[in-house]
Amino acid sequence: MTGSVNDPPAGGQADTHLLDAVTLPCGADVDPLLEQVADGHAADRDAHQRDCVHCRAAIAEFAALWTPVTETAASPVLPPAGLTAAIISQIRGQVRDGWYTLQATRLGFIRIAARIVAALARDTASMVPSVRVALGRSTHSQIAALTEQATFGHHHPHAAVGVLGRTAVVDLAVAVTYGDPVHELARDIQQRVIATLRDQIGLRTVAVNVTVDDIFIDEDQ
Amino acid sequence: MRPEPAVGDGYLVTRAQEGYLDAYEMLVQRHSAMAYRVALRLCGNHHDAQDIAQEALIAAWQNLARFRADSSFSTWLYQIVTRRTLNKITRSRGADLVDVLDEAADPITGPAAQAERNLAVDAVTDALAALPFAQRAVVVLHHFEGLSYAEVAEVTRSTVPAVRSHLFRARRTLGAKLEEWR
Repeated sequence: MTGSVNDPPAGGQADTHLLDAVTLPCGADVDPLLEQVADGHAADRDAHQRDCVHCRAAIAEFAALWTPVTETAASPVLPPAGLTAAIISQIRGQVRDGWYTLQATRLGFIRIAARIVAALARDTASMVPSVRVALGRSTHSQIAALTEQATFGHHHPHAAVGVLGRTAVVDLAVAVTYGDPVHELARDIQQRVIATLRDQIGLRTVAVNVTVDDIFIDEDQ
Repeated sequence: MRPEPAVGDGYLVTRAQEGYLDAYEMLVQRHSAMAYRVALRLCGNHHDAQDIAQEALIAAWQNLARFRADSSFSTWLYQIVTRRTLNKITRSRGADLVDVLDEAADPITGPAAQAERNLAVDAVTDALAALPFAQRAVVVLHHFEGLSYAEVAEVTRSTVPAVRSHLFRARRTLGAKLEEWR
């Protein structure tokens, strides 16, 4: 790749010469011109380019050449259906969350995964006005502490959950929109989440720890 | 249900590091399409791209504690996807010459319309696949994903001049291939 384009740069063989050359007859470097076009700045010509037939021809040629690349870049690449769900499922599988609520009925036992409790709590909290995002998790350490207390330190994963029965402690991290009193909002979240977990899971004792850890300005207002 | 919350990746990463799995699930929902798209354009194989996207997002979660906020989560993920794609290609040479977008056919359009529309895409795909991996990576990251030179340098653990140099060469090669196609 040496020298410059000697022939007038107007289509035909000149195209090939153009990509083989380092400079145009006017002295302009070829690579920056191609870069300018490829980066979508073909129309942003400097003073020299506006007056130079070589540069104008090269830019036009590169623009035509690069169009398929721009089109390909713009064409959507859809991920396969279920990709996101598969990833989340794999991650959940690696989180060994063995905690369940346990309720004994005349027909048998009902066990509900702590993850479900956390998800319900999160969704309930996210429906409270001014809550921007709510993230839920079961409070392993606190459940573990309760379990230890209830079982007098007798560690047994499954039995421990059984001993917990219809008690749950849930941590919620919440980001809210600026405006309403935050402490009242937090109390509202607690009350709604407790009501939901009692009604929908059948829990008797529910503690909901709310951490408001970010506040956003509502751009609509 | 409410629409996806307008909180930044940084917030979600911090919460995920604290053990909120929900937060990481939101990150997966935001970035899995990007991970797949980049892997597909780099490796040219639908099945491998799917594997790479999955592995990358799971690896990111497993290593979340090591993630430092001095770069963005998406830059970090680009880095993981690019590295894993290179590893996969190195392990099974030849797979990168398969058409990039063919197997990921748009489910909405019919085969005929797809074939017509893909003529230009196929040409670019072939030209892209023929590039050495380093050049392909910078083209995909800069021209397809819209990353700046500095971001591409961060993802590829390179320098801006090196990225620019790879891009100069890649553009000339792509241009020559596309000239043949025209």
